[in-house]
Amino acid sequence: MDVELIEIRDFLASHAPFDRLPEETLEHLPKRLSVRYLRRGSAFPPTDDDSPCLYILRRGAVEVRDDEGNLVGKLAEGDLCPSPCHPDQPQMQMPGQTSEDTLVYLLPCETLAQLRSKHAEFAEHFEQSVSGRLRKALANIKESGDGTGLMTVQVRDLLGRELVSTTPDTSIEAAAKIMSDARCSSLIIMAADRLAGMITDRDLRNRCLAAGLSPTEPVRAIMTEKLHTVQADTLGFEALIRMTRLNVHHLPVIDGSRVLGVVSTSDLVRVQSANAIYLVGDVSKAGSAETLADISGKLPELQIQLVASGATADQIGQAVSAVTDAITLRLLQLAEETLGPPPVPYCWMAGGSQARREQSSHSDQDNALLIADHMKPEDDAYFAALARMVNDGLNACGYIYCPGDVMASNPKWRKPLNIWTKYFNTWIKRPEPMALMLSSVFFDLRPICDTEGLFGELQERVLNLSKADRIFVAYMAANALKHRPPLGFFRKFVLIHGGDHNHTFDIKHRGIVPIVDLARVYALSSGLAETNTLERLKAAAEAGALSKDGAANLVDAAELIGTLRMRHQARQLRRGEQADNFLSPDDLSPLERGHLKDAFSLINTMQESLGQRYQAGRFV
Amino acid sequence: MACFALEWRRRWRLRRAPPGPLRDYLSAPFPPPSRDYRKTEYVAVDLETTGLDPRLDQILSIGWVVVHGARIDLSSACHRLIRVEGDIPEDTAVIHQITDDLAATGLELSLALPEFLQALRGRIMIAHHASVELGFLGAACKRLFGAGLLVRTIDTQAIARRILERRQTAFKASDLRLHALGERYNLPRYGAHNALSDALAAAELFLAQAAHRDNGRGMRVAEFL
Repeated sequence: MDVELIEIRDFLASHAPFDRLPEETLEHLPKRLSVRYLRRGSAFPPTDDDSPCLYILRRGAVEVRDDEGNLVGKLAEGDLCPSPCHPDQPQMQMPGQTSEDTLVYLLPCETLAQLRSKHAEFAEHFEQSVSGRLRKALANIKESGDGTGLMTVQVRDLLGRELVSTTPDTSIEAAAKIMSDARCSSLIIMAADRLAGMITDRDLRNRCLAAGLSPTEPVRAIMTEKLHTVQADTLGFEALIRMTRLNVHHLPVIDGSRVLGVVSTSDLVRVQSANAIYLVGDVSKAGSAETLADISGKLPELQIQLVASGATADQIGQAVSAVTDAITLRLLQLAEETLGPPPVPYCWMAGGSQARREQSSHSDQDNALLIADHMKPEDDAYFAALARMVNDGLNACGYIYCPGDVMASNPKWRKPLNIWTKYFNTWIKRPEPMALMLSSVFFDLRPICDTEGLFGELQERVLNLSKADRIFVAYMAANALKHRPPLGFFRKFVLIHGGDHNHTFDIKHRGIVPIVDLARVYALSSGLAETNTLERLKAAAEAGALSKDGAANLVDAAELIGTLRMRHQARQLRRGEQADNFLSPDDLSPLERGHLKDAFSLINTMQESLGQRYQAGRFV
Repeated sequence: MACFALEWRRRWRLRRAPPGPLRDYLSAPFPPPSRDYRKTEYVAVDLETTGLDPRLDQILSIGWVVVHGARIDLSSACHRLIRVEGDIPEDTAVIHQITDDLAATGLELSLALPEFLQALRGRIMIAHHASVELGFLGAACKRLFGAGLLVRTIDTQAIARRILERRQTAFKASDLRLHALGERYNLPRYGAHNALSDALAAAELFLAQAAHRDNGRGMRVAEFL
């Protein structure tokens, strides 16, 4: 190649997707191009090109508009412009206009097709659908981890040995011998082909020896009968989170209805040093709020490690929230130890991101107390003290006091069931701005400690009300459209609706909140009990509240945006900085920008269809 | 008109030219000045030389690129280093970065020039401050093929001067330099100072100048001559 076209080659080499081409192909690429100059205000793509081309912007800017003339994107140096090379992609064909004097390189569609057929990585960029591109990007993120297995390995593959089992009539002594011979810490008890129960080392110790039970008694006397199980294809990481949440160390593994074996925490820890479960173990042993604060100080480290191992935002959210749950529970136990048993049953409810299991290391605290209806007025002193201790404890652990005072220590949010029912009744019947503001807390609620099942009653009432009230759902829909994702990126800026530019953007409020809000509307409109955004989307698709594709796309968008946010925060934490949600386009690789833009456009599409369905404009 | 006179002179010279590269070049008619500039063919060219005097100094390199209407065709981009006699003066070597060693790897001008004439056949020449290119190429043709270079030329610097004069704004000589003008039109800035990137910059400048004068209905080439 002529050495002088090196500058054009260098330009291509520093822009996606040409940076994916091998050196040798890049050398010859400038010679395949031609150059055009379009004055500001010219139609784009130019109408007089005789052969179809891909347009690569070298200098200048192009504004792309939809049929109604709304600005949908702005292109700058290095961007690929709408082109007739992609007849199957309408978003690549929107008409535009140059908003600056513009120099473009033209690559014939024919040459583009050749490059795509020869270079898979290059071709990925032109992947047919936005959702297909996102799916691929997510797969890459998962693979990009340090290879440690829990994110990818299934529990089926962690079962080292044949199923060791016995019958309920076996003596405790004989069962212990079986365990000893097989060198295992748990034993499955089968009655005919049915899973009847399980015993562990701990049961032998606590329920037999310490309890003075004769070893000649049948194992039935000491086995755990109500068992949680996992399916064989569950990811190791999910099993770990389930164990962490249940605070158990063994889970029987089931394939359909067949018992395959038992997976233990030590099996999982062998695959990956499982910090979450260690942290939870420490939490349940902690004797004071100070010790708990020490333990919660390790959460940022947990986030960093999970990011490094290729965990997605959902997995990290699950892990961090499991630790927060355990801390909350332990604080409640400590408070009860100090204050004595509660006068009437109560339920500690977590709201917001903890309820959705989407916390990152150190979120604010949002919580409330639901108390049994037969509480007497004087009982409130007990619950006020309990709430104060737990709220203070959480604050000391880094879950700072809720700025909006949505906490159990606030008397307004510490009420018996009938008052809570009235609250929700009012919010749903008269959806005022205040109610909408609180909706992200109170329509995402999860019981953390609920011995008498108070929460189930409240939830059932709320869902029956919300599902039936179309006007309420319309208000929630309008509220869900308040946070719009950016249009994309333009040079060093984030481009937002209306054409304004910003240097940074809040990835939480512009990327994650819109999806969380959408999922909440779908869940409430179908009366779904799920709180987690991904679970809500999947359940809503099952219930027909949105299309399967729509749900799958939003799940991918949420995972991609959330994961970029987790990575951004992990980078900050590793540098010893405070983690925040502000991303600048400079922090992103061109590829990441492309994926984010895809995710934004998916959210935008779903917001628009929701807006049309509920004519949400009427309620804003 | 001078333009018609040029075509007449081409035919006159064609009849007298001995067989060879110059005769081949002259055998194709020049693009008529009445034609729409968007339907005309051009070659943008730039030379690096050992100095400014065509009688004394030598061509060190030629860079050119073909323009079809309003579209630069990079597949035609060509750069030729020329072997020179004697040492390259240090003061010019600083600018074009062509050293004696590098120049020694070059092509004989007698081989490079026919290549360029082949590209120029039936096309208009674009150059920035074209008198240098016309002077050196003319002298080379005379020496190698016995006659000077007859060519229809668009000088992007002359166009720029006319635009500035018409606006009646004060300007400095440096405002007329290729890179300064490129900046005005939002064109890319090429770091390397060499014949091909300058030829490309001149071609881009011409497209920009034309686009800014064209009201969308096209213009005659004559407007740029």
